[in-house]
Amino acid sequence: MAGFADLNLPQGPDKKSLQSLLESAAHLGYSAVALNHVIDFKEKKQGTSKRIKVLTRLTLVVSDPSHCNLLRSTSANIRLYDIIAVFPKTEKLFHIACTTLDVDLVCINVTEKLPFYFRRPPVNMAIDRGIYFELLYTPAIKDSTMRRYTISNAISLMQICKGKNIVISSAAERPLELRGPYDVANLGLLFGLSESEAKAAVSTNCRATMLHGETRKSACGVVYTVKKPRKVEEEETTLPACKKAKTQA
Amino acid sequence: AALSRRYVLCEVVSEDPRCRQCIEDRAVGLAVRDAIGRVHGDYGLACCSISFTVKYLNAYTGTVLLRCRKDSYRLLCSALPFVRQLESRNQRHPCFLNTLHVGGTVRTCQKFLIQYNRRQLLTLLQNCTNEEERRCVQKSLLSCSLTEEQSQSGDEEDDDGTE
Repeated sequence: MAGFADLNLPQGPDKKSLQSLLESAAHLGYSAVALNHVIDFKEKKQGTSKRIKVLTRLTLVVSDPSHCNLLRSTSANIRLYDIIAVFPKTEKLFHIACTTLDVDLVCINVTEKLPFYFRRPPVNMAIDRGIYFELLYTPAIKDSTMRRYTISNAISLMQICKGKNIVISSAAERPLELRGPYDVANLGLLFGLSESEAKAAVSTNCRATMLHGETRKSACGVVYTVKKPRKVEEEETTLPACKKAKTQA
Repeated sequence: AALSRRYVLCEVVSEDPRCRQCIEDRAVGLAVRDAIGRVHGDYGLACCSISFTVKYLNAYTGTVLLRCRKDSYRLLCSALPFVRQLESRNQRHPCFLNTLHVGGTVRTCQKFLIQYNRRQLLTLLQNCTNEEERRCVQKSLLSCSLTEEQSQSGDEEDDDGTE
């Protein structure tokens, strides 16, 4: 099974707090985390010694279509981040983010009542494009009003996307706000996911998001070669598949 | 078996070492019940209260073993992330619970705990700074095993639970 990942750890003000946060995450069993920078461009920070993979991530909070221009241009800054997320504030921007923007994650608001309803066409398009929807759980733990908004927003999303393509992450600012991977999967049950979907939301979906980010960085896509089972008679004469394609073309 | 139970093994994680003093049956039980009440309301609290108890507690390692009915273990497990502090003797310490294992009997949780502690000791071994510490930790590592003469209160646990 894919390891567990938490794709949203806000970049704190000092290195020491970040260090303790990373150690806490490593102790809980996460194998990868993503340090979240909101809009500003900062350098990559070093990880700890406990064999936890540290990625960088950018979140763009967009409330106006002109803010998306940063994503459309292939600027050098964007390519330095492993994961790109967008946080749309209006229905139109949600539609744009799901259908056209080149991002890995679409953040779902959990701290207030959604100003718009989810509709099926953009959500389905996002699922086809391999974009994942991110839900945060730390606000739910801190405050009971946030908890209600988180659960109701999450459940309304589930009704449209049927539990697919969901990622649950923390946005924990202090180590005490983190929760272990199995606990986060249990929180997924509260959000309307089934048990397998909830587990995937912390592990396989996170890995898929990281891979999506990698393919976005490499610009074209993922090419993987599969060894075809060769018949015994043809063994000496058969060329490897890639060479064969060239000669046949 | 008619009376199926689930045993939830967790560890208390906190930044303040003094929090360990707070780790006692009553404080942990209250904190968990309070979390269930906040998240699942009166219905959840009532369901989980049947057969709920803190079965085992180790203040040094922060390990806690909770017991509940099989029908309500999901309510319990989904409320555990919402525990934010332990309160005892008018002292409050912020902390959280990390669920390690859910089993059908005390014995399965015990076996898991032994393996888990062994892994923790290994990590501790890697971080040892002097030879004396290293020897102590190695000694503990070599001596951890499930001895057959250890008898927990195993009379109720005749169901195996599918985990």
